[in-house]
Amino acid sequence: MIELHQVTKRYPGGQVGLDQVSLKIPKGQLVFLTGASGAGKTTLLKLIYREEMASEGYILVNGRNVSSLPANKVPYLRRTIGVVFQSFRLIPRKTVFENVSYLPNLLGLDHKEQKKLAYETLRQVGLAHRMNAFPMQLSGGEQQRVAVARALINKPDILLADEPTGNLDPELSEEILKLFLEINLQGTTVVFATHDRELIARVGRRCLTLHQGRLARDLELPGRMLPESAALSSEEALSGEAVLGEEGPST
Amino acid sequence: MTFLQALAYFFRQACSNLVRSWKISLLAILTIAVSVFLGGVFLTVGNNLRFLADEWRAESRLMVYLATEADDEAVADVQRLLHEVVAPGDVQLVGPDQAEQRFRNAFPQLGDLLEGWGEQPLPASLEVTADLDSKTGTELGPWLERLEAHPSVQMVDDDREWLGRLHAIILVLEGVAAVIGLILIVTAVFTISSVIRLTAYLYQDEIAVMRLVGATEFYIRGPFYAEGLLQGLGGGLVAISGLLAGHRFLFQDPEASSLLTSVLAENFLSWPELLMLLVLGGAAGLVGAVLSLRRESLGQTAETEWVGNED
Repeated sequence: MIELHQVTKRYPGGQVGLDQVSLKIPKGQLVFLTGASGAGKTTLLKLIYREEMASEGYILVNGRNVSSLPANKVPYLRRTIGVVFQSFRLIPRKTVFENVSYLPNLLGLDHKEQKKLAYETLRQVGLAHRMNAFPMQLSGGEQQRVAVARALINKPDILLADEPTGNLDPELSEEILKLFLEINLQGTTVVFATHDRELIARVGRRCLTLHQGRLARDLELPGRMLPESAALSSEEALSGEAVLGEEGPST
Repeated sequence: MTFLQALAYFFRQACSNLVRSWKISLLAILTIAVSVFLGGVFLTVGNNLRFLADEWRAESRLMVYLATEADDEAVADVQRLLHEVVAPGDVQLVGPDQAEQRFRNAFPQLGDLLEGWGEQPLPASLEVTADLDSKTGTELGPWLERLEAHPSVQMVDDDREWLGRLHAIILVLEGVAAVIGLILIVTAVFTISSVIRLTAYLYQDEIAVMRLVGATEFYIRGPFYAEGLLQGLGGGLVAISGLLAGHRFLFQDPEASSLLTSVLAENFLSWPELLMLLVLGGAAGLVGAVLSLRRESLGQTAETEWVGNED
């Protein structure tokens, strides 16, 4: 589903966003992506939805090499990938319905079909009753749900979430996390970037840890609690070998 | 989305943009309107000048004034010289009495000037009504020189000389008008371009979301192209309304027309010319929009608005 092969991303000026990262995320998996600020989480997500181009290596999404995708094909890739951000990215002058209906609109669905689809998707995130509200009239958790609905409306194969709970209090974070778990249960591959270890500890699942652009850890966590031993010291993370071994990350 | 659906969406969005930023849109429309209006004025003046010049050319004459001592044989000799180029039917002898009568008819208030000059104050002349410009293949210069040098000819007055000068002046005026028009249109294009860029800036959050969800560049840029086109067409319509109103005002009393009103409004622009001005306005708007949305100026990423989430 998602494969990174020796992917390096260097920004202009020489800053390295990702360094020789290889990993595979099978279809239908929920993966946490964690690491300190600047570790490369956002860069990795951006490379998947082709917001950024890899400097070295290549990335396969559904078997398609997104690194070599022509610019005019990128929109079609993005229609298969939903993206959710920490800052919600809702348009304040548009209603909830209008915010989630960008893609149906550009796909040429008529207003009735758009409304039906928006209603169904908003119902999925528990906000069908707020279709005509404006983002500013919603709580942070509700705004994030709208952003999730916008990402889900075209039933994407992949859902990328970049710190989706970063602006939310713990209760709302849990709500959003549950929503992502439900979405994953329906077969959508979810990559959930967060530095909130508590959140990861509550649900477990596969956890990829990035440190200074390198994949430092790739662990299947049991859930309920993140083991203390799994917390990386800087030295461990830098070497990465204590966990990854010489064969590189295992999935 | 079909092409027609996309067009409908573009124009719906463009109208929404125009309403949302109506002040700067009005500025763009007025800039285009001024440019197209002045273009229309230049075109009208040029058309009317050419029309007047054609009219005057149709009435132009070659007058060969005969010396007072010229006898019948000498006049016949001059006529023979004229017939080398023009048909006998195109040459008319105007006697001194007829010349005096013509003068008194043309300038009734100046009749006194002819008093006290004896019986025949004006010389006889030979009037050539043929269109000399159509005499292709004929060497008119040497022929005219021979006419002027003829001992029985006092003076040769060729209307084509001043008509030629007028034609040159019209050409210069048209050239100047074209340059000014070009400058105005370029100004209008850049105004529209700036307005569209500003609108795109206002909508950059939405553009970023559209890129994120998979909107194509055509879909993202279409509303801005439509907006430029609408601004241009709007400016064109305002200009045409101004031209119509100006023509109506200047020509409200055809009886009181002067040379100035003749030049400005004797003949108004034809429908194809008005349509051309409208298209010019629309094209200027569209070009402005295209220029404003070059790849580097619209922001190519889905990250345009939101920063601070970088990892």
